[in-house]
Amino acid sequence: MDGEIFEIAVFTTAAALAATVVMLPPGIALAWVLARHRFRGKAVVETLASLPLVMPPVATGLLLLWLVGRRGPVGHLLEPLGIEIVFTPAAVVLAMAIMGLPLLVRTARAGFEQVTRRYEQMAETLGARPWRVFTTVTLPLASRNILAGALLGFTRALGEFGATIVVAGSIPGRTRTLTVGIYTYTETGQDARAAALLVVSVALAFGAVLVANRLAHVD
Amino acid sequence: MVQWVTGVAVVLALAVAPAQRQQVLVSAAASLADVMATLARRYEMQTGVRVVVNTGASNTLARQITAGAAVDLFVSADEAQMDAVRAEVVSGTRVPLLSNQLVVAVAADRPRRMRSVRDLLDPSYRRIAIGDPAAVPAGVYTKAYLEKLGIWREVSKKVVPSASVRVALATVENGATEAAIVYRTDLATTRRAMMAFAVPLPDGPRIVYPAAVIATGHNRAGATRLLAWLQGDQAMKVFVNAGFIRGR
Repeated sequence: MDGEIFEIAVFTTAAALAATVVMLPPGIALAWVLARHRFRGKAVVETLASLPLVMPPVATGLLLLWLVGRRGPVGHLLEPLGIEIVFTPAAVVLAMAIMGLPLLVRTARAGFEQVTRRYEQMAETLGARPWRVFTTVTLPLASRNILAGALLGFTRALGEFGATIVVAGSIPGRTRTLTVGIYTYTETGQDARAAALLVVSVALAFGAVLVANRLAHVD
Repeated sequence: MVQWVTGVAVVLALAVAPAQRQQVLVSAAASLADVMATLARRYEMQTGVRVVVNTGASNTLARQITAGAAVDLFVSADEAQMDAVRAEVVSGTRVPLLSNQLVVAVAADRPRRMRSVRDLLDPSYRRIAIGDPAAVPAGVYTKAYLEKLGIWREVSKKVVPSASVRVALATVENGATEAAIVYRTDLATTRRAMMAFAVPLPDGPRIVYPAAVIATGHNRAGATRLLAWLQGDQAMKVFVNAGFIRGR
């Protein structure tokens, strides 16, 4: 495995891990809200949260590009601060996190729905505040699902292509991920390198899915 | 927990920090990825200026530019995508950097020569792969050329439209099609396919890779110097070795 292949493998794994870390807080919050609350427009929020799962990734990428591009609603707020997202590793992480989020939310939500409400009520009668109930009772009881969801989000992030290439491009040593690398090497006829990346991505995905399945099935 | 969050924040801040000024960001068509990487290294050694190369399909690159991405130099695989970013091009900097040529590729283990593209009408060619004429520039060129010869309607019955020229070439390499119409440069990278016919330059479509300095970039002077260097003899030699033709 030559240096460039190794570098791409490490970068992709690190970016997917960062994406998982980034998606956890909003993912858990959203899953909990969807599992426990009824409110006006809930169906809309539910649908929005699943959208990246069903939309063509390139379309999600185009939407992100528009949002964080220098002329977009978010991008033009960041420009005066000297922050650019497009073509940076941050763009890779962003694309991966958006694409992985729905898987995390769906899996974690099922976990919250399975938590027996009586345990939480017992904690409350013992005087625990809502945040304490959440962190010491709800979260631990749902942790297996959250972990499985995070792993699924991580695997989705590893395999992300469409949104990444649009918003982060394919810059060697900066934004080139496994899938984007496979595409670029194939387009330039460097089949041996593409094949090496392919083997790496199969191995990574295999390992991650294996662990995710174990977490989801063992009671 | 707090430390950890700060750590992540610092990493993210570093990642999005504005790029160094002494570098030129080039967005180049995917077909140029390999040759541009070589040239970027050489330019960097000679001048100390860092050249960062971003590659992708030309229409994706064009979209990134219209969204305001800080690209200094754009090398497109077709004129249409350069036209699409016309508003962002620094006036007077657009040049026809490179040309390419359409060729008919066949599998190397079943070599054959063609006297004319009309030979494709022969029943021994059952399927012919070309880039999707609705989207892929190579397919657009191929269709226009075959229409000019008056054989598109007949040939189109055997055409397998592909997502890219590379995919078209791969179908020939693995025997799924008898021929593919691809660029000359695509054949430079494979031993499993060979050229059965090269469309003579004067008859064929004018295939141009235009290059231009982009106004939204951070380093206009650097991009202008790099573009001049890319047109020089030393860089052209590298392009020609990869199968390209000097742009006209």
